[in-house]
Amino acid sequence: MSGPPAVEIEDLHYRYPGGPAALRGVSLVVAAGEMVAMVGQNGAGKSTLARHLNGLLRPAAGRVRIFGRDTARLRVSELARYVGYVFQNPDHQIFRETVAAEVAFGPANLGCPPDEIEARVHAALRFVNLEEKRDANPHLLSRGERQRVALASVLAMQTPVLVLDEPTTGQDYRTSLEIMERVAELNRAGHTVIFITHDMELVARYASRVVVLARGKVVADGGVRETFASPGVLAASHLAPPDITCLAREMAPWGIPGDVLTVEEMLAVLAPLVGGRGC
Amino acid sequence: MSGAIGYVSQASPVHRLHALVKVLWALGVLITSLAFTDVRYLAGVLASVLVVAAAARVLLRLLPALAGLAVFALILVFFQAVFLDRGRVLFYIIPWAKILPVTGAGLLLGAAMGLRMLSIVLSFLVLLATTQVKDITTMLVARCRVPYDYAFLFATILRFVPVFLREARQVDQAQRARGLVVEGPNPWRKLKGYAPLAVPLVLLSLRRAEQLAVALEMRGYGQGGGVAADRPLKNRDRFLIAGLVLIIGALLAARVAGYGT
Repeated sequence: MSGPPAVEIEDLHYRYPGGPAALRGVSLVVAAGEMVAMVGQNGAGKSTLARHLNGLLRPAAGRVRIFGRDTARLRVSELARYVGYVFQNPDHQIFRETVAAEVAFGPANLGCPPDEIEARVHAALRFVNLEEKRDANPHLLSRGERQRVALASVLAMQTPVLVLDEPTTGQDYRTSLEIMERVAELNRAGHTVIFITHDMELVARYASRVVVLARGKVVADGGVRETFASPGVLAASHLAPPDITCLAREMAPWGIPGDVLTVEEMLAVLAPLVGGRGC
Repeated sequence: MSGAIGYVSQASPVHRLHALVKVLWALGVLITSLAFTDVRYLAGVLASVLVVAAAARVLLRLLPALAGLAVFALILVFFQAVFLDRGRVLFYIIPWAKILPVTGAGLLLGAAMGLRMLSIVLSFLVLLATTQVKDITTMLVARCRVPYDYAFLFATILRFVPVFLREARQVDQAQRARGLVVEGPNPWRKLKGYAPLAVPLVLLSLRRAEQLAVALEMRGYGQGGGVAADRPLKNRDRFLIAGLVLIIGALLAARVAGYGT
């Protein structure tokens, strides 16, 4: 794609007041249209890094550019047009009396006219499958539903970049997949997506690229397949690839490739072998 | 400010003292600061609080809070200086129109209020930085016969202040990320702008209170079990307590006798 990259981070340093250095020289370029997973232990700096993307935190040193614009010169409310940020805990944001009003909050802040807001709310709620709850009190919904309200409230802002901080926490397996399917759909529609997660299966299934953070630095950055196939980097940051990848590695003596990422891939590899023996 | 409230786990002469000594000290600062209005005395109190903070090795950590409080102190000075219309006029804020005269008495009273506020808040920050809340509660229950429920309430409030501040920051971030701007000249809009911040915070606090109540009950709170015995007082603690009582008593006596107005 032409034009400036969606996200450009240059030697970013950050330290919380009175705390240790949270980011120590992070450089990262995310092209428009990528779907990047950000992984790492608790305290590795994932959320701190993500909060620089929409100006909630300002670099102590280094530079962050969104579509070529320096975030140091833009207010958070201006950056909100470009970067949507879905927080981990929906209860930190839900305050309106109906789901629809909650979702309308963001677009209204962006200055959209009423009919445009209504259209966006409708689309966002349909997207997260909460259409029939549009007049419900969001505080009375289940945790999983509240999480989807929060997601919809950011989707309604229709930002080209989406940052999702652990979008599937507190969701059962099926809902997790559902949410990620929707996010992948947004990505295919052209949104640049950066998501933070601890779930390596989701990384394997949905990300095209994975950035591994450890102690405030990027320790690995590359395709999911290559990164998961090289056990050293992940182990060094106390992460483990998905179980199915571990199994594939153990089965190397039987000629199974070590970079299998999903159950479906494993089946595709195994089927000819099993089938061949049967005949 | 959030980094300034709470226990700092380290070794220092002040940390080693009994909770009773430090509570008495903070109360002494509070009572005598309120009793005196003499700027020289109040400056002395603030200096003594700073010395204790330095001895406790928490002065650096408290500096940002101190800077924040100093701003409020200056505002206090300003208001007193401007609105106390008594004594000789030193100068005018708007000299050409002779509006808002600043008097010597006003300036002194403002400085006294500012110093008083700084000493009192700082002494309690030092107390909290050097004493674990559980030690204060145990001391209150075992030595001062404070009912356990009240002491527990006090401890819980203190414990949740940092949690509340962290949550406030997160709510603020979440709403600003959705384009909220709480700025502008219109006071009604500004007030409305705080609803997105206030509502989640109140609801989170209510939910937390409910969870805490359940968690407490599940662990048998309210069954009337005994409270852990307080740490014994050491000789240096007794010595300091006697000293503090003497000093506070002497100061109050001096104040009653008419010194330090």
